[in-house]
Amino acid sequence: MISSYIIPILIILLIIYSVIKRKNAYSSFVYGAKTSFDLVLTSFPYIVAIFIAIELFSVSGLSTIMGKLLAPLFNILGIPTELSELILLKPFSGCGSLAVLENIFSTYGVDSYLARAGCAIVGSSEAIFYITAVYFSGTKVKKFSYGIPVAIISNLLGVVAACLICKVI
Amino acid sequence: MNAVWISFMIVGLGIMLFNNVDIAFSTILTGSEKAISLALKLWAIYAVWLGILKIVEDTGLNNKIAKLLSPIINKLFGKTNPEVKNQIAVNLTSNMLGMGNACTPSAINAINGMDKGSDVATAGMLMLMILNTSSLEILPTTVIGLRVAAGSLNPNDIIFPTLIATTVSTVSGVVMCKLCEKLKSKLKQRKNTTELSKQTPVFKKVK
Repeated sequence: MISSYIIPILIILLIIYSVIKRKNAYSSFVYGAKTSFDLVLTSFPYIVAIFIAIELFSVSGLSTIMGKLLAPLFNILGIPTELSELILLKPFSGCGSLAVLENIFSTYGVDSYLARAGCAIVGSSEAIFYITAVYFSGTKVKKFSYGIPVAIISNLLGVVAACLICKVI
Repeated sequence: MNAVWISFMIVGLGIMLFNNVDIAFSTILTGSEKAISLALKLWAIYAVWLGILKIVEDTGLNNKIAKLLSPIINKLFGKTNPEVKNQIAVNLTSNMLGMGNACTPSAINAINGMDKGSDVATAGMLMLMILNTSSLEILPTTVIGLRVAAGSLNPNDIIFPTLIATTVSTVSGVVMCKLCEKLKSKLKQRKNTTELSKQTPVFKKVK
């Protein structure tokens, strides 16, 4: 895999660059790593709140109910109903949707249309609600005006494109 | 966010009262446990990336990346202070390289930098949020890895569809974001002018 070379090479180049620039890479790293503590502490409560909601969402069966309710809409957009749980979970949790994707792999086969469309969906979108909660954890911001609707619509368009392109190829 | 969370909690727990009340509370605890294990993983990732990003910062490399990306950043975010611009540049680069959670610290820093203490998100914050939620990843490394693990015959054949889907979601997101931003400022202007026109007659009457 070419992609596994990218990050190690970038790190090597960066350290060489810092040596050329006569900077102390070691102390920079230590100082930076120290700030991770604050970041985890401020974002942790938000992660807990979101994860409890996600867990309730899937265990209570709410996700399957919503999937059934939204099935007609998904049909119009050309999205297979088998992918509805994945599409509903994706805005909330990246890890959760990866688990659903693996489930799709084992049920329908890795190289099936559903699995490939699922991959394109997971690769082309992010966990909207999780990102919103964590990114704004350091501010007092509570009103996102058009932010969340725009994020959901653009992700849905990405999903439609993913289903379409996987069908064609 | 508040409304979303409240409805999930009430509806989720409400359904469980009828079909699975025995595991209702343990589900909450499972969620919390998962959050802790994720937080630990994130901590490890943050520590490494924040360390590396600090080296980037101290060598002045982030200024160079910011300069390189500055036409795009200026177009998308308008006028921002240089510190925020640097953070946005780092965020966009790490996003494109598919570093996953590594783009979180720079995004938080950028948003904190744009914060004016108000409870309403600014246009710049929303743009950064949209860019991050629509994913800028060029190589979907995690998904390819999963496909390899599941024994796919051709794990890389999703790169192209993913790229198309990402482009669609990102471009549509940015366009909608800009349109809404304009619409919002127009509505605000109209509101101000109507308020002014309402005020003037009152003023005349007093006269």
